[in-house]
Amino acid sequence: MASSSSLGRVLTLCKRFQSVFRISPAISVQHCAVNLKRCQNNLLSEKSSLIASSWITPISFVGQRRALHTTVSRRGLEEFFDQPENWGEPNVKSGAPWTAKQLRTKSNEDLHKLWYVLLKERNMLLTLAQEAKRQSLQMPSPERMKKIERSMVRLDTVVRERETALRLLQTGQEKGRPGDWRRNVFGYEYWYRFKEYTIPWYMNKRHERKKFYTPHFVQPHIRLRIERFLRERARKVNLKRKTLAKLKERFPQMKLPSS
Amino acid sequence: EIKNIVYPLYQLGNPQLRIFRPSWFLTLVRPGKEQPPDTVQFRIPMDMTKYDVKNYLEKIYNVPVGVVRTRIQFGSNKKRNHLNQRVKKPDYKVAYVQLAQSQTFTFPDIFPEKDRTLKEGSMEEMQEKFMEDEKQRQKSDPRRGGVTEWFGL
Repeated sequence: MASSSSLGRVLTLCKRFQSVFRISPAISVQHCAVNLKRCQNNLLSEKSSLIASSWITPISFVGQRRALHTTVSRRGLEEFFDQPENWGEPNVKSGAPWTAKQLRTKSNEDLHKLWYVLLKERNMLLTLAQEAKRQSLQMPSPERMKKIERSMVRLDTVVRERETALRLLQTGQEKGRPGDWRRNVFGYEYWYRFKEYTIPWYMNKRHERKKFYTPHFVQPHIRLRIERFLRERARKVNLKRKTLAKLKERFPQMKLPSS
Repeated sequence: EIKNIVYPLYQLGNPQLRIFRPSWFLTLVRPGKEQPPDTVQFRIPMDMTKYDVKNYLEKIYNVPVGVVRTRIQFGSNKKRNHLNQRVKKPDYKVAYVQLAQSQTFTFPDIFPEKDRTLKEGSMEEMQEKFMEDEKQRQKSDPRRGGVTEWFGL
Protein backbone atom coordinates (compact mmCIF):
# COMPACT_ATOMS: atom_id res chain seq x y z
CA MET A 1 0.00 0.00 0.00
CA ALA A 2 1.47 3.35 -0.99
CA SER A 3 -0.26 5.60 1.56
CA SER A 4 0.81 5.37 5.14
CA SER A 5 -2.05 7.10 6.92
CA SER A 6 -5.06 5.03 7.89
CA LEU A 7 -7.44 7.20 5.90
CA GLY A 8 -5.35 6.83 2.78
CA ARG A 9 -5.15 3.09 3.35
CA VAL A 10 -8.89 2.82 3.68
CA LEU A 11 -9.43 4.85 0.51
CA THR A 12 -7.07 2.69 -1.49
CA LEU A 13 -8.84 -0.38 -0.10
CA CYS A 14 -12.24 0.99 -1.14
CA LYS A 15 -10.89 1.79 -4.61
CA ARG A 16 -9.44 -1.69 -4.86
CA PHE A 17 -12.77 -3.23 -3.93
CA GLN A 18 -14.56 -1.06 -6.45
CA SER A 19 -12.30 -2.18 -9.24
CA VAL A 20 -12.22 -5.82 -8.15
CA PHE A 21 -15.90 -6.41 -7.42
CA ARG A 22 -18.28 -4.44 -9.54
CA ILE A 23 -21.57 -4.96 -7.71
CA SER A 24 -24.18 -4.32 -10.40
CA PRO A 25 -27.86 -3.79 -9.54
CA ALA A 26 -30.42 -6.59 -9.59
CA ILE A 27 -31.71 -5.55 -13.05
CA SER A 28 -28.66 -6.85 -14.79
CA VAL A 29 -29.38 -10.35 -13.43
CA GLN A 30 -31.93 -10.71 -16.23
CA HIS A 31 -29.31 -9.94 -18.85
CA CYS A 32 -27.18 -12.63 -17.27
CA ALA A 33 -29.63 -15.33 -18.33
CA VAL A 34 -29.41 -14.04 -21.91
CA ASN A 35 -25.66 -13.88 -22.24
CA LEU A 36 -23.70 -15.62 -19.51
CA LYS A 37 -20.33 -14.97 -21.14
CA ARG A 38 -20.77 -11.21 -20.99
CA CYS A 39 -21.71 -11.36 -17.35
CA GLN A 40 -18.63 -13.31 -16.32
CA ASN A 41 -16.50 -10.22 -16.07
CA ASN A 42 -19.03 -7.93 -14.53
CA LEU A 43 -21.16 -9.94 -12.16
CA LEU A 44 -20.37 -12.29 -9.33
CA SER A 45 -21.68 -15.79 -9.72
CA GLU A 46 -24.06 -15.33 -6.81
CA LYS A 47 -27.14 -13.20 -6.50
CA SER A 48 -25.85 -9.67 -6.33
CA SER A 49 -28.11 -8.57 -3.51
CA LEU A 50 -26.77 -11.37 -1.30
CA ILE A 51 -23.29 -10.07 -1.90
CA ALA A 52 -24.33 -6.44 -1.49
CA SER A 53 -25.61 -7.05 2.01
CA SER A 54 -22.78 -9.31 3.12
CA TRP A 55 -20.21 -6.82 1.89
CA ILE A 56 -21.39 -4.18 4.39
CA THR A 57 -17.99 -3.91 6.03
CA PRO A 58 -17.58 -1.63 9.00
CA ILE A 59 -14.30 0.16 8.47
CA SER A 60 -12.99 1.99 11.51
CA PHE A 61 -10.72 5.00 11.28
CA VAL A 62 -9.15 4.60 14.71
CA GLY A 63 -5.42 5.27 14.66
CA GLN A 64 -2.89 3.33 12.61
CA ARG A 65 -5.01 0.19 12.22
CA ARG A 66 -4.07 -2.56 9.76
CA ALA A 67 -6.24 -2.47 6.63
CA LEU A 68 -7.95 -5.75 7.47
CA HIS A 69 -11.62 -5.82 8.34
CA THR A 70 -14.15 -8.62 8.68
CA THR A 71 -17.73 -8.75 7.58
CA VAL A 72 -20.34 -8.57 10.30
CA SER A 73 -23.41 -10.40 9.03
CA ARG A 74 -26.42 -9.72 11.22
CA ARG A 75 -28.55 -12.48 9.82
CA GLY A 76 -27.31 -15.65 11.51
CA LEU A 77 -29.40 -18.70 10.69
CA GLU A 78 -31.29 -16.83 7.97
CA GLU A 79 -28.23 -17.29 5.78
CA PHE A 80 -29.07 -20.97 5.52
CA PHE A 81 -32.06 -20.00 3.41
CA ASP A 82 -32.56 -18.04 0.25
CA GLN A 83 -34.08 -14.60 0.27
CA PRO A 84 -37.81 -14.78 1.12
CA GLU A 85 -38.73 -13.42 -2.34
CA ASN A 86 -37.30 -16.56 -3.94
CA TRP A 87 -39.21 -19.06 -1.81
CA GLY A 88 -41.64 -21.02 -3.99
CA GLU A 89 -40.19 -19.77 -7.28
CA PRO A 90 -39.73 -22.54 -9.88
CA ASN A 91 -36.52 -20.96 -11.25
CA VAL A 92 -33.90 -18.81 -9.58
CA LYS A 93 -31.48 -16.97 -11.87
CA SER A 94 -27.75 -17.32 -11.23
CA GLY A 95 -24.65 -16.36 -13.14
CA ALA A 96 -21.76 -18.40 -14.51
CA PRO A 97 -19.28 -20.16 -12.22
CA TRP A 98 -15.90 -18.61 -11.49
CA THR A 99 -13.14 -19.67 -13.88
CA ALA A 100 -9.57 -20.28 -12.75
CA LYS A 101 -8.42 -17.44 -15.03
CA GLN A 102 -10.71 -14.96 -13.28
CA LEU A 103 -9.72 -16.20 -9.84
CA ARG A 104 -6.03 -15.81 -10.57
CA THR A 105 -6.53 -12.07 -10.93
CA LYS A 106 -7.89 -11.74 -7.38
CA SER A 107 -5.78 -11.11 -4.30
CA ASN A 108 -5.41 -13.63 -1.46
CA GLU A 109 -7.69 -11.66 0.84
CA ASP A 110 -10.40 -11.56 -1.80
CA LEU A 111 -10.06 -15.29 -2.46
CA HIS A 112 -10.32 -15.98 1.25
CA LYS A 113 -13.52 -13.97 1.51
CA LEU A 114 -14.91 -15.48 -1.68
CA TRP A 115 -14.38 -18.95 -0.23
CA TYR A 116 -16.69 -18.14 2.67
CA VAL A 117 -19.26 -16.56 0.38
CA LEU A 118 -19.28 -19.72 -1.73
CA LEU A 119 -19.39 -21.86 1.41
CA LYS A 120 -22.48 -20.10 2.72
CA GLU A 121 -24.17 -20.33 -0.67
CA ARG A 122 -23.40 -24.03 -0.83
CA ASN A 123 -24.85 -24.59 2.64
CA MET A 124 -27.96 -22.74 1.56
CA LEU A 125 -28.33 -24.91 -1.55
CA LEU A 126 -27.81 -28.09 0.47
CA THR A 127 -30.55 -27.12 2.93
CA LEU A 128 -32.84 -26.28 0.00
CA ALA A 129 -32.15 -29.60 -1.70
CA GLN A 130 -32.78 -31.58 1.49
CA GLU A 131 -36.04 -29.74 2.20
CA ALA A 132 -37.18 -30.29 -1.38
CA LYS A 133 -36.49 -34.03 -0.99
CA ARG A 134 -38.42 -33.99 2.27
CA GLN A 135 -41.45 -32.29 0.71
CA SER A 136 -41.18 -34.41 -2.49
CA LEU A 137 -40.85 -31.28 -4.62
CA GLN A 138 -38.36 -30.14 -7.21
CA MET A 139 -35.48 -27.96 -6.11
CA PRO A 140 -35.49 -24.67 -8.06
CA SER A 141 -32.52 -24.49 -10.50
CA PRO A 142 -30.34 -27.39 -9.25
CA GLU A 143 -27.51 -26.45 -11.64
CA ARG A 144 -26.33 -23.93 -9.03
CA MET A 145 -24.86 -26.74 -6.94
CA LYS A 146 -22.45 -27.84 -9.66
CA LYS A 147 -21.50 -24.23 -10.41
CA ILE A 148 -20.59 -23.61 -6.78
CA GLU A 149 -18.68 -26.86 -6.50
CA ARG A 150 -16.61 -26.13 -9.59
CA SER A 151 -15.91 -22.57 -8.43
CA MET A 152 -14.68 -23.86 -5.08
CA VAL A 153 -12.46 -26.48 -6.70
CA ARG A 154 -10.93 -23.88 -8.97
CA LEU A 155 -10.39 -21.50 -6.06
CA ASP A 156 -8.63 -24.26 -4.17
CA THR A 157 -6.43 -25.01 -7.19
CA VAL A 158 -5.43 -21.35 -7.52
CA VAL A 159 -4.57 -21.10 -3.82
CA ARG A 160 -2.53 -24.29 -4.01
CA GLU A 161 -0.64 -22.98 -7.02
CA ARG A 162 0.25 -19.82 -5.14
CA GLU A 163 1.32 -21.80 -2.10
CA THR A 164 3.62 -24.09 -4.11
CA ALA A 165 5.13 -21.09 -5.90
CA LEU A 166 5.82 -19.38 -2.57
CA ARG A 167 7.23 -22.54 -1.06
CA LEU A 168 9.53 -23.09 -4.05
CA LEU A 169 10.83 -19.56 -3.78
CA GLN A 170 11.32 -19.65 -0.02
CA THR A 171 12.54 -23.17 0.63
CA GLY A 172 13.08 -24.87 -2.71
CA GLN A 173 10.61 -27.66 -1.79
CA GLU A 174 7.75 -28.21 -4.20
CA LYS A 175 5.62 -30.40 -1.91
CA GLY A 176 4.38 -29.28 1.49
CA ARG A 177 4.19 -32.79 2.91
CA PRO A 178 7.51 -34.69 2.83
CA GLY A 179 7.61 -38.01 0.99
CA ASP A 180 9.83 -40.48 -0.81
CA TRP A 181 9.80 -42.94 -3.73
CA ARG A 182 9.49 -46.43 -2.20
CA ARG A 183 8.89 -49.90 -3.57
CA ASN A 184 5.98 -51.89 -2.17
CA VAL A 185 5.51 -55.66 -1.78
CA PHE A 186 3.99 -56.03 -5.25
CA GLY A 187 6.97 -54.58 -7.07
CA TYR A 188 5.45 -51.16 -7.71
CA GLU A 189 7.35 -47.97 -7.02
CA TYR A 190 5.11 -45.29 -5.55
CA TRP A 191 5.30 -41.92 -3.80
CA TYR A 192 5.09 -42.73 -0.09
CA ARG A 193 3.96 -39.70 1.91
CA PHE A 194 5.34 -39.41 5.43
CA LYS A 195 3.01 -39.43 8.37
CA GLU A 196 3.47 -37.67 11.68
CA TYR A 197 4.02 -39.99 14.66
CA THR A 198 4.70 -39.35 18.35
CA ILE A 199 7.50 -41.97 18.48
CA PRO A 200 10.43 -42.50 16.07
CA TRP A 201 10.21 -45.16 13.34
CA TYR A 202 12.61 -47.60 14.98
CA MET A 203 10.38 -47.80 18.07
CA ASN A 204 7.18 -48.33 16.05
CA LYS A 205 6.34 -52.06 16.29
CA ARG A 206 3.48 -51.92 13.79
CA HIS A 207 5.49 -49.98 11.23
CA GLU A 208 8.18 -52.72 11.27
CA ARG A 209 5.73 -55.16 9.71
CA LYS A 210 5.23 -52.88 6.69
CA LYS A 211 7.58 -53.96 3.87
CA PHE A 212 9.15 -51.38 1.59
CA TYR A 213 10.95 -53.99 -0.51
CA THR A 214 9.84 -56.66 -2.99
CA PRO A 215 10.52 -60.25 -1.80
CA HIS A 216 12.33 -62.62 -4.15
CA PHE A 217 9.32 -64.88 -4.80
CA VAL A 218 7.34 -61.98 -6.31
CA GLN A 219 9.72 -61.72 -9.32
CA PRO A 220 7.90 -64.37 -11.47
CA HIS A 221 4.60 -62.53 -10.95
CA ILE A 222 6.22 -59.24 -11.98
CA ARG A 223 7.59 -60.96 -15.11
CA LEU A 224 4.11 -62.24 -16.00
CA ARG A 225 2.72 -58.72 -15.53
CA ILE A 226 5.33 -57.30 -17.88
CA GLU A 227 4.56 -60.02 -20.45
CA ARG A 228 0.84 -59.19 -20.28
CA PHE A 229 1.52 -55.48 -20.74
CA LEU A 230 3.78 -56.10 -23.76
CA ARG A 231 1.22 -58.47 -25.29
CA GLU A 232 -1.55 -55.88 -24.95
CA ARG A 233 0.62 -53.18 -26.48
CA ALA A 234 1.57 -55.47 -29.39
CA ARG A 235 -2.12 -56.30 -29.90
CA LYS A 236 -3.03 -52.62 -30.17
CA VAL A 237 -0.28 -51.95 -32.72
CA ASN A 238 -1.26 -55.02 -34.75
CA LEU A 239 -4.92 -54.06 -34.75
CA LYS A 240 -4.10 -50.62 -36.11
CA ARG A 241 -1.88 -52.06 -38.82
CA LYS A 242 -4.49 -54.67 -39.87
CA THR A 243 -7.33 -52.13 -40.07
CA LEU A 244 -5.18 -49.88 -42.25
CA ALA A 245 -4.28 -52.85 -44.51
CA LYS A 246 -7.98 -53.80 -44.87
CA LEU A 247 -8.96 -50.23 -45.71
CA LYS A 248 -6.14 -50.01 -48.25
CA GLU A 249 -7.39 -53.23 -49.87
CA ARG A 250 -10.96 -51.93 -50.02
CA PHE A 251 -10.09 -48.36 -51.05
CA PRO A 252 -6.82 -48.49 -53.03
CA GLN A 253 -6.70 -44.73 -53.66
CA MET A 254 -6.99 -43.96 -49.93
CA LYS A 255 -4.35 -41.72 -48.39
CA LEU A 256 -2.97 -42.95 -45.07
CA PRO A 257 -4.11 -40.88 -42.04
CA SER A 258 -1.50 -38.64 -40.47
CA SER A 259 -1.76 -40.13 -36.96
CA GLU B 1 -12.92 -31.28 -2.52
CA ILE B 2 -9.97 -30.81 -0.17
CA LYS B 3 -9.15 -34.46 0.34
CA ASN B 4 -6.24 -36.04 2.21
CA ILE B 5 -5.60 -33.04 4.43
CA VAL B 6 -3.37 -34.06 7.34
CA TYR B 7 -3.39 -31.73 10.31
CA PRO B 8 -0.38 -31.62 12.68
CA LEU B 9 -0.52 -33.91 15.68
CA TYR B 10 -1.54 -32.30 18.91
CA GLN B 11 0.53 -32.74 22.03
CA LEU B 12 0.30 -30.80 25.27
CA GLY B 13 1.62 -27.27 24.78
CA ASN B 14 1.17 -27.15 20.99
CA PRO B 15 -0.44 -24.05 19.52
CA GLN B 16 -4.16 -24.09 18.81
CA LEU B 17 -4.95 -25.62 15.42
CA ARG B 18 -6.49 -23.08 13.05
CA ILE B 19 -8.26 -24.12 9.89
CA PHE B 20 -8.49 -21.66 7.00
CA ARG B 21 -11.03 -22.21 4.23
CA PRO B 22 -12.85 -25.18 5.83
CA SER B 23 -14.28 -27.67 3.38
CA TRP B 24 -17.13 -28.69 5.70
CA PHE B 25 -20.70 -28.06 4.62
CA LEU B 26 -23.66 -28.11 6.97
CA THR B 27 -27.24 -28.87 5.96
CA LEU B 28 -30.04 -27.46 8.07
CA VAL B 29 -32.84 -30.04 8.19
CA ARG B 30 -36.39 -30.02 9.42
CA PRO B 31 -36.55 -32.17 12.60
CA GLY B 32 -38.35 -35.49 12.19
CA LYS B 33 -39.38 -35.56 15.83
CA GLU B 34 -40.60 -32.59 17.83
CA GLN B 35 -37.65 -30.59 19.16
CA PRO B 36 -37.46 -27.81 21.82
CA PRO B 37 -37.86 -24.32 20.32
CA ASP B 38 -34.19 -23.39 20.70
CA THR B 39 -32.85 -26.53 18.98
CA VAL B 40 -31.63 -26.47 15.39
CA GLN B 41 -30.93 -29.75 13.59
CA PHE B 42 -28.01 -30.08 11.13
CA ARG B 43 -26.52 -32.82 9.01
CA ILE B 44 -22.76 -32.48 9.26
CA PRO B 45 -19.81 -34.36 7.73
CA MET B 46 -18.62 -37.38 9.65
CA ASP B 47 -15.30 -35.93 10.70
CA MET B 48 -16.75 -32.84 12.39
CA THR B 49 -16.90 -32.74 16.18
CA LYS B 50 -19.12 -30.83 18.59
CA TYR B 51 -16.44 -28.19 19.11
CA ASP B 52 -15.99 -27.87 15.34
CA VAL B 53 -19.72 -27.25 14.88
CA LYS B 54 -19.75 -24.69 17.67
CA ASN B 55 -16.80 -22.76 16.30
CA TYR B 56 -18.10 -23.02 12.72
CA LEU B 57 -21.47 -21.50 13.56
CA GLU B 58 -20.04 -18.88 15.87
CA LYS B 59 -17.27 -17.69 13.58
CA ILE B 60 -18.84 -17.99 10.13
CA TYR B 61 -22.53 -17.43 10.82
CA ASN B 62 -22.23 -15.34 13.99
CA VAL B 63 -24.83 -17.49 15.74
CA PRO B 64 -24.65 -17.74 19.55
CA VAL B 65 -24.33 -21.47 20.23
CA GLY B 66 -24.88 -23.07 23.62
CA VAL B 67 -24.60 -26.84 23.54
CA VAL B 68 -24.08 -29.19 20.61
CA ARG B 69 -24.98 -32.88 20.69
CA THR B 70 -24.13 -35.22 17.85
CA ARG B 71 -25.05 -38.71 16.77
CA ILE B 72 -24.31 -40.84 13.75
CA GLN B 73 -27.27 -42.05 11.74
CA PHE B 74 -26.78 -45.43 10.12
CA GLY B 75 -27.96 -45.52 6.49
CA SER B 76 -29.71 -48.79 5.72
CA ASN B 77 -28.02 -51.54 3.73
CA LYS B 78 -31.20 -53.57 3.41
CA LYS B 79 -32.64 -52.40 0.09
CA ARG B 80 -31.75 -54.46 -2.95
CA ASN B 81 -31.48 -53.43 -6.58
CA HIS B 82 -32.61 -55.29 -9.71
CA LEU B 83 -29.49 -57.52 -9.46
CA ASN B 84 -30.36 -58.47 -5.88
CA GLN B 85 -27.28 -56.62 -4.62
CA ARG B 86 -27.61 -54.71 -1.42
CA VAL B 87 -27.63 -50.94 -1.91
CA LYS B 88 -26.19 -48.87 0.90
CA LYS B 89 -27.69 -45.53 1.84
CA PRO B 90 -24.81 -43.36 3.09
CA ASP B 91 -24.33 -42.78 6.82
CA TYR B 92 -24.45 -39.25 8.11
CA LYS B 93 -23.87 -37.37 11.34
CA VAL B 94 -26.65 -35.30 12.88
CA ALA B 95 -25.97 -32.37 15.22
CA TYR B 96 -28.55 -30.88 17.55
CA VAL B 97 -27.48 -27.31 18.28
CA GLN B 98 -29.07 -25.42 21.17
CA LEU B 99 -28.91 -21.68 20.76
CA ALA B 100 -27.64 -19.46 23.57
CA GLN B 101 -29.12 -16.13 24.72
CA SER B 102 -32.61 -17.76 24.77
CA GLN B 103 -33.03 -17.47 20.99
CA THR B 104 -35.62 -19.62 19.22
CA PHE B 105 -35.73 -21.02 15.72
CA THR B 106 -38.55 -22.56 13.71
CA PHE B 107 -37.93 -24.21 10.38
CA PRO B 108 -39.63 -21.98 7.79
CA ASP B 109 -41.87 -23.08 4.93
CA ILE B 110 -39.60 -22.73 1.93
CA PHE B 111 -42.09 -23.90 -0.70
CA PRO B 112 -45.21 -21.77 -0.21
CA GLU B 113 -48.02 -21.98 -2.74
CA LYS B 114 -47.71 -18.99 -5.01
CA ASP B 115 -50.53 -18.14 -7.46
CA ARG B 116 -48.76 -17.50 -10.69
CA THR B 117 -50.47 -15.44 -13.40
CA LEU B 118 -49.31 -17.00 -16.65
CA LYS B 119 -48.20 -14.70 -19.44
CA GLU B 120 -50.49 -14.69 -22.52
CA GLY B 121 -49.03 -16.71 -25.38
CA SER B 122 -46.26 -18.26 -23.24
CA MET B 123 -45.27 -21.94 -23.25
CA GLU B 124 -46.49 -22.46 -19.66
CA GLU B 125 -49.92 -21.05 -20.46
CA MET B 126 -50.33 -23.36 -23.47
CA GLN B 127 -49.19 -26.34 -21.43
CA GLU B 128 -51.66 -25.53 -18.64
CA LYS B 129 -54.52 -25.24 -21.15
CA PHE B 130 -53.58 -28.52 -22.75
CA MET B 131 -53.45 -30.32 -19.38
CA GLU B 132 -56.87 -28.94 -18.45
CA ASP B 133 -58.36 -30.08 -21.76
CA GLU B 134 -56.92 -33.56 -21.26
CA LYS B 135 -58.45 -33.78 -17.78
CA GLN B 136 -61.82 -32.69 -19.15
CA ARG B 137 -61.66 -35.37 -21.84
CA GLN B 138 -60.94 -38.11 -19.26
CA LYS B 139 -64.04 -37.24 -17.21
CA SER B 140 -67.17 -39.26 -17.91
CA ASP B 141 -70.43 -37.79 -19.21
CA PRO B 142 -71.95 -35.67 -16.40
CA ARG B 143 -75.44 -36.47 -17.62
CA ARG B 144 -75.03 -40.08 -16.41
CA GLY B 145 -75.02 -38.87 -12.82
CA GLY B 146 -72.00 -40.83 -11.54
CA VAL B 147 -73.13 -44.20 -12.99
CA THR B 148 -70.18 -46.22 -14.29
CA GLU B 149 -69.73 -47.41 -17.88
CA TRP B 150 -70.19 -51.03 -16.71
CA PHE B 151 -73.94 -50.59 -16.74
CA GLY B 152 -75.17 -50.61 -20.34
CA LEU B 153 -77.16 -47.63 -21.56
